[in-house]
Amino acid sequence: MMGWDVFKQYFNAWESSTANVVEAWLKSPLVLEPAGTWLSMMMKTKAAADKNAATAWGALGLPTKRDQERALHALNQIQSRLIDLEEQLADMKAATAAPKKA
Amino acid sequence: MIERFFALARRMSKPPPVVGATPASVVHAENKWRLLRYDRRPAGLAHQTPVLLVPSLINRHYVLDLMPEKSFVEWLVARGHDVYCIDWGTPSDEDRFLTFEDITDRYIGRAVRVACRLSGVDKLHMLGYCLGGTLAVIHAAVRPEHIATLTLLATPVGFHDEGLLSRWTRSRGFDVRALVDGVGNVPWQLMQSAFHLLRPTMNVAKAVSMLDRAWDDEFMDGFLALETWGNDNVSFPGACYRTYIEELYRDDALVHGRFKLGPNPVRLEDIRCPALVVTFEHDAIVPWPSAAVVMDKISSRDKHRLHLSGGHVGAVVPKKAAKGLWPAMATFWADRDARA
Repeated sequence: MMGWDVFKQYFNAWESSTANVVEAWLKSPLVLEPAGTWLSMMMKTKAAADKNAATAWGALGLPTKRDQERALHALNQIQSRLIDLEEQLADMKAATAAPKKA
Repeated sequence: MIERFFALARRMSKPPPVVGATPASVVHAENKWRLLRYDRRPAGLAHQTPVLLVPSLINRHYVLDLMPEKSFVEWLVARGHDVYCIDWGTPSDEDRFLTFEDITDRYIGRAVRVACRLSGVDKLHMLGYCLGGTLAVIHAAVRPEHIATLTLLATPVGFHDEGLLSRWTRSRGFDVRALVDGVGNVPWQLMQSAFHLLRPTMNVAKAVSMLDRAWDDEFMDGFLALETWGNDNVSFPGACYRTYIEELYRDDALVHGRFKLGPNPVRLEDIRCPALVVTFEHDAIVPWPSAAVVMDKISSRDKHRLHLSGGHVGAVVPKKAAKGLWPAMATFWADRDARA
């Protein structure tokens, strides 16, 4: 048990100091800027590749992934609008029913 | 040392802890999100005003119902509260077009109205946790009519701080539009990596902590439940993420009154309901000044800030929360119910 306690004591000291050093390093613009630029470049490359693939699919007259996403999103929006209307109808019914009861 | 590994191996051979176990029924479902209503206690309700929990978009809702005896929801239900919780579900590829307005106005608005209708009341207590609190505060500013009180738990409202996330999102090299164009919904793996970078040695520290208390079954159950939750994340809808980064993180638009929800300006000073703001001293994800700034912005005369020790998740979940944080929130609601 003694050995473990000593290990933990040293570990905690190491963990705390290492975390602080790495955090300071990660916050540095020298790390953040290149990391951001690299990620953005990767994403632009992926977007360009996806666009080329979509153009090829479109040339064949087939729906692209983006077309399908837009169609599904539109269906979801329609579902929400229908629920909006149901709520409004329920409110109107309640409003008209209330005076009759009175 | 060897004994610790044996204890760990023995625990790992047991089934994982059950998470999110408080019985609930789905009272509304729309797109991927659902509104859950937890089964009321057999003795009946002690409080008529229901509580609506709004969790973060990028984590599962069950952090507030982690496991039996370590569940805020279970604790509330046992004390006679009528509890609702939004489960945001898992966004699919088509949800890349979901906007902040869809989520904050339409979805939360619906959850509020459904909960009020089912409970037969006009107003409810809204509690937002983390990003869920940001959504809740925006909703409360624009649609205050059904909000009895607003409780914000570790909620980022001001986004210009010296934390890593704030610096990263404001770095010039990071092009959020390119990211969203490239991936659609922002993958949870990317966001989880960013959270891990907040404490790069966290995983090693967790492993040592696990070995340290390997024979403590209660600790291990809680630890594993929290790990289950921590690794069960969801991706961020793309359009919504773009607004989050560009307008909230980069422009700090919420604090400066520049944020808009569709055509409606979001003015924090329009919030006049009683408010409780809970901040945590060692919160690395939402530094406490980012959460506390809302106190200066809202017009509520009845507003209180509770500043506690602990971190973003660790302070909300464990048993010690059942003695401090949870009763403080329940008392806040009960007092306002009594005054209403």
